[in-house]
Amino acid sequence: MSAVTAVSLKERAAALVEVCSVRLGQAWFGVPINHIVEIVGSARPQPVPLAPGYVGGLVHYRGDVLTTVSLRKLLGMPLVEGVQDVLVLENAGICFGLLVDSVGEVLTVSSADHEQNPPTLDERRGALFAGAYKLEGRLLVMLDPARLDPVRLAA
Amino acid sequence: MDELTREFLIESQEGLDRMERCLTELETRPQDAELLAEIFRSVHTIKGTTGFLGFKRLEKLAHAGENLLGLLRDGKLAADGAIITGLLQLLDALRSILKTIEAEGAEGTEDDAVLIGWLEELQLPALAASAPADCAAAATRSARKPDFQQTAAAESASMPAPAPAAAESDPAAQRASSSTAESTLRVDVALLNRMMNLVGELVLTRNQILQATAADPNMTQLSRRLDMVTADLRESVMKARMQPISHIFSKVPRIVRDLCQSLGRRVRVRMEGQETELDKSLLEAIKDPITHAVRNALDHGIEPSQERRAAGKYPEGLLTLRAAQEGSHVVIEIGDDGAGIAVDRVRGKAVERGLVAAERAAKMSERELLQLVFLPGFSTAAAVTSVSGRGVGMDVVRTNVEKIGGKVEIDSHPGEGTTLRLRIPLTLAIVPALIVRSLGQSFALPQGALSELVHVPPEQVTTAIEWIEGTPLYRLRGRLLPLVFLDRLLQPGGDHRAAAKRNNFIATLNADGRRFGLVVEGLADPEEIVVKPLSAALKDIGLYSGATVLGNGHLALILDPGAIAMKAGITVSAEDAAARAADETEGEAEDGAEYLLVEIGGRSAAVPLASVLRIEQLPLTRIEYVGCRPVVNFQGQLLPVEDAGGVLAATEGSAADKNAPAARIVVVVCREGNRQVGIAVSQVLDVASGGDLCEAGSSRPAAGLTLLGNRVTGIVNLGGAAPLLVESKPEEWIRIEEGVR
Repeated sequence: MSAVTAVSLKERAAALVEVCSVRLGQAWFGVPINHIVEIVGSARPQPVPLAPGYVGGLVHYRGDVLTTVSLRKLLGMPLVEGVQDVLVLENAGICFGLLVDSVGEVLTVSSADHEQNPPTLDERRGALFAGAYKLEGRLLVMLDPARLDPVRLAA
Repeated sequence: MDELTREFLIESQEGLDRMERCLTELETRPQDAELLAEIFRSVHTIKGTTGFLGFKRLEKLAHAGENLLGLLRDGKLAADGAIITGLLQLLDALRSILKTIEAEGAEGTEDDAVLIGWLEELQLPALAASAPADCAAAATRSARKPDFQQTAAAESASMPAPAPAAAESDPAAQRASSSTAESTLRVDVALLNRMMNLVGELVLTRNQILQATAADPNMTQLSRRLDMVTADLRESVMKARMQPISHIFSKVPRIVRDLCQSLGRRVRVRMEGQETELDKSLLEAIKDPITHAVRNALDHGIEPSQERRAAGKYPEGLLTLRAAQEGSHVVIEIGDDGAGIAVDRVRGKAVERGLVAAERAAKMSERELLQLVFLPGFSTAAAVTSVSGRGVGMDVVRTNVEKIGGKVEIDSHPGEGTTLRLRIPLTLAIVPALIVRSLGQSFALPQGALSELVHVPPEQVTTAIEWIEGTPLYRLRGRLLPLVFLDRLLQPGGDHRAAAKRNNFIATLNADGRRFGLVVEGLADPEEIVVKPLSAALKDIGLYSGATVLGNGHLALILDPGAIAMKAGITVSAEDAAARAADETEGEAEDGAEYLLVEIGGRSAAVPLASVLRIEQLPLTRIEYVGCRPVVNFQGQLLPVEDAGGVLAATEGSAADKNAPAARIVVVVCREGNRQVGIAVSQVLDVASGGDLCEAGSSRPAAGLTLLGNRVTGIVNLGGAAPLLVESKPEEWIRIEEGVR
């Protein structure tokens, strides 16, 4: 019994995950790095009139026009003036952008520290978050790229 | 070597490679119908193509082979060793001729009579099949076969055989120029699309670099080089996507041949403009419509020979395929000289099927009635075939063509034939658009739907835009045009009181018969935009057909005029459209043509609007003189300027007096026959439709005069402008010069 626990603990300890941290106001969120195609700094998205609320506008990316999702709008935070960073994410073969205030460092976290969304989290946010990592002194709330896909948000 | 021949060589070589594979397989499976059909196709394609390329020798050879293969395919002959040997000989001969064509551009003059003779002999058993002496024929053949082989052997011994001679004529040159098939490469279209995207991005990056380095003289050289390379690269990638229309046209003779056989018609195919190039994706998209149109023309257009003879026509029908580039479009015509469409029957059928009301159908013009064949539902059953003579799947043709931004027109004269005209944009990726501004951002408006622009200055906004219960309208030449304010549409809850205090521009749009004016705050330059698709989440908004990156690196949403009309509730019922169409035709009949009203030296004059190409405002310094005739150099083309009213002299005089170097003149550029003439005018006043004037006491309309706004106005005589270049007529030169003086 104890042997089994040891093995599973060992396995869990070995599973290290690289997470890119993004800042939104005072809060930090994490995005699994394997979903990030590229980080485009200081973009000014072109607004799309009549677009759904979560759409942050369009940005020009590698000759293509990328639809971005504004994390501020999604989380119901007040919008800020000025440039924002764009994370180019890939989901199911389609790229989209995620607008955040700024991109921070890449953290290596252990999956052992991961916890699911608490049941008390409100439903709207719970649908966007994929649990959190318990870091020293703070929690890093994870965003789920698949759930941020504008096509999925539209559905 | 032209493009067509090169294409033909690649295709034929591929075909022959296939044929060789099949022939070897045939040895083991001599009864395999599919293999035989494949071989037959290869030879048949070569024959069909050589026919219109004019390679007689190749055609003769392929024809002989085709005859033999036809017998094999139809099961009248069994493929034995001798026949396969013969076919392989044919294959080698065809290959050697193709090589000669590739090397020299001509097919050589060697005689293939021996091989053709042998191929004919191989057919003998089938031709003599009616006779009971099968074995006798076989004996004849087996007796003759060695004969040929001996002859061939003797030939190759005594003189160099034709095929090797051609192949080995210049081994060094052969090695140097790799065969066409080797020097071309098939590339995935997705890769080309990606390259196009990347080049687009490169162009934008270049623009930014050019701006950033403008001040630094050290960088100027480098950035200029980057500029040139980028432009060349862009052009090359665009060109890589273009293919000649012969890719589709070359399939037609075969389709026609097959249809002729099954329908018992005799039809000749004539093709023009096969070298016209079109974007690859568009070429794919029009393949089916063209095939459909060809089938229609043969099935329902061209009559059987007896009927044609009875109607006094040449028994062999003529199918014409014509392609030509017209500006940013390619026009493809598929015409036949058949019976044409009986409009009365179209009318009857349309009423019977409930597509139009009987009263309306009775009032419809011939042209309108012809358009009915495109209605879905008109062309469902075979019953239509026997009735209208045309119309099977015409709605499919139209849908496919309109899907790629094209247009279909039909033209038919009873007894003379029918012509289907497809207007296809050159490329899907690039669309001419007008950039408009509203809500502080740019939008692209496709020019296809744009018919005219009206400027409403701030002080006129309150009077020019009229309202019926909150619905804005504009009086455009006497007809009320419903207006849609783009900012109100895109920002329903916003504050739009400022509209009255700013410049407004009305873009008159025509979207699928819905006419309306789109009010925007500003206009920027027209631009050729590259359409980028929007993500599914934004497509649902419905007002945008895509997005684009503008020359300055900003993004712009592409407006969809049809969707805007729908959203704004602008609808045009079919009855309404018909009434308007009738109105317009009547109007034309009554009022005659439309005229551009201009002022020349203080008097007003009219220029037929149909002949006006454009209006240019030029600095006076652009006017140069050839002898005494004023001309303008327009992008390397010389445009003679008519100055009957002395406008040039007057402007020159005033420019000299006031010492104003920026004096500008207005030149109306007109089409006169197949040349262009510029007319110097003081100013352009208006567009109006003119009425005919009859001289008192006669019923003949007076020439050179028209009634514009109840005033008699002289029409500028374009034909009077003498040609600029007069060949070998010195007397006339003198006369012209004197005339000008």
